Amino acid sequence: MAQKTFRDFLDQLEAAGQLRRLTKPVDPRHLSALGNQATTACLFENIKGYPGWRVATGLVSTRARLALAMGCAENRVGFAFEEKIGRPIDPVTVRTAPCQEVVLEGDDVDLTAIPLPLMHLFDGGPYIAGTFVVSKDPEHGLNVGSYRLMYRTPRETSIDLVSPSDMRFYYQRALDQGRPLPIAVAIGVHPLDMLAASYKAPIDKSELALAGALHGAPVEMVKCRTLDLEVPASAEIVLEGELLPIGWTADEGPFGEFSQISGDVKWNPIFRVNCITHRRDPIFYMLQMPWENDWLAAPVTEAAGIQALRVASVQPVDIRAPVGSCGYWTLIASIRKRPGEGKNAIAALLSVAEVKLAIVTDDDIDIHNPDDLDWALTFRVQADRDAVILTGARAKHIDPSVKSWELGKGGLPTTAKLGIDATIPEGVPKILYRRIKPYAKDRLRLEDFQ
Amino acid sequence: MSPLASQMVETLKATPKHFHEVVDDHPDVPWRDLLRAWGEVRAADILKRNDAGQYYIAPS
Repeated sequence: MAQKTFRDFLDQLEAAGQLRRLTKPVDPRHLSALGNQATTACLFENIKGYPGWRVATGLVSTRARLALAMGCAENRVGFAFEEKIGRPIDPVTVRTAPCQEVVLEGDDVDLTAIPLPLMHLFDGGPYIAGTFVVSKDPEHGLNVGSYRLMYRTPRETSIDLVSPSDMRFYYQRALDQGRPLPIAVAIGVHPLDMLAASYKAPIDKSELALAGALHGAPVEMVKCRTLDLEVPASAEIVLEGELLPIGWTADEGPFGEFSQISGDVKWNPIFRVNCITHRRDPIFYMLQMPWENDWLAAPVTEAAGIQALRVASVQPVDIRAPVGSCGYWTLIASIRKRPGEGKNAIAALLSVAEVKLAIVTDDDIDIHNPDDLDWALTFRVQADRDAVILTGARAKHIDPSVKSWELGKGGLPTTAKLGIDATIPEGVPKILYRRIKPYAKDRLRLEDFQ
Repeated sequence: MSPLASQMVETLKATPKHFHEVVDDHPDVPWRDLLRAWGEVRAADILKRNDAGQYYIAPS
């Protein structure tokens, strides 16, 4: 099996009736407004002022399209992700690559040659979101993540590096030594690659091998033209450059965040671009916020929850990171419970990244049905006994309730976390939860009486 | 500095603006020209931000 590409997924979407081609000229400042109205993914084929360029958006802005990318049922994306990443496949290096059909260096480097979109009303500038960023630390090795870039000048962007991440750690180490951090930014990779980039893998785990696991085939990488780094060979566009050793000093934002909020101005490093490579007929990927980001986050959060439950010896039956919490801040899980495991499960789920609300139910509850979940919360919970609160845990800046504006530049916020054990309490007979059911329902059919 | 960039500077000296308001001031300017001019203003290192995220330039 071969690794799938960004273009393969566009073809797959089109075959599934999930891609709309738009052929009339569209100004880059209007791409977001138009893409946001579509119920399918969009491929803009005629970008005003940018002959030869196309722009794709909305590839995974529904759970159904994400499931299509993953090749699984909608309600199994977390389990599918968790199962696949257990079988990492190392990348392979190729000598030539579509992403280097055009190479621009020196005075030819000009970010304005790319149709950078103005995405949201209060954004601080045009943005590149949906990136696959590769960096390397002399001691800790390669890292892949996804970070947004705000256009500043034809050769510079700011980069959002406020949250804790391996690349932030790498950058801090480089900054401490007064040196820049080389990075390569790939744009237009398959959603499975984006999922691997989104996954908060331990620092010694390779996101590239995880991407291979998701594809079921090694990811083909090619050496950068100006850096000692490799990038996905099938990418549409690659920006090679360095994070300048200036610390968190450049204004960045606001940006329409994945929290569905227009964030505030942040202070971040600057990315200087020294080389741009791309395909001869490049397709720029405009990741549509918040939905694409949120649906990409959900399976990663769900898989982390499954793993945490298993480490705690709790058996997960179903799990959901709701899109209302951006696929990120809330985990709801049903478990096959033994005495005490409702609380164990809460402790496990609240250990996941920035999850700040965890709800645990028994496996008779359909956690995808809000009415069923409400029922469990109503009749199986006593707040003084079943609510668990942790304080002072790690948080993200974009949650306004953590008051990150009170921190200094580069400071990290903390948060409180809430867990609710909505399993049947120990000592309460299960018979008290016997659901009502019409007599003879299984034997009679309404149609037979018309 | 290009005439378009100079025009942006004068506007931002007079009134703080969100980036989209800068864009709206020049609806007929090709996008790439607008980005280049914005890059010139950025490179001059004179832009400041207020709490609302608007850009402004302090009078010299």
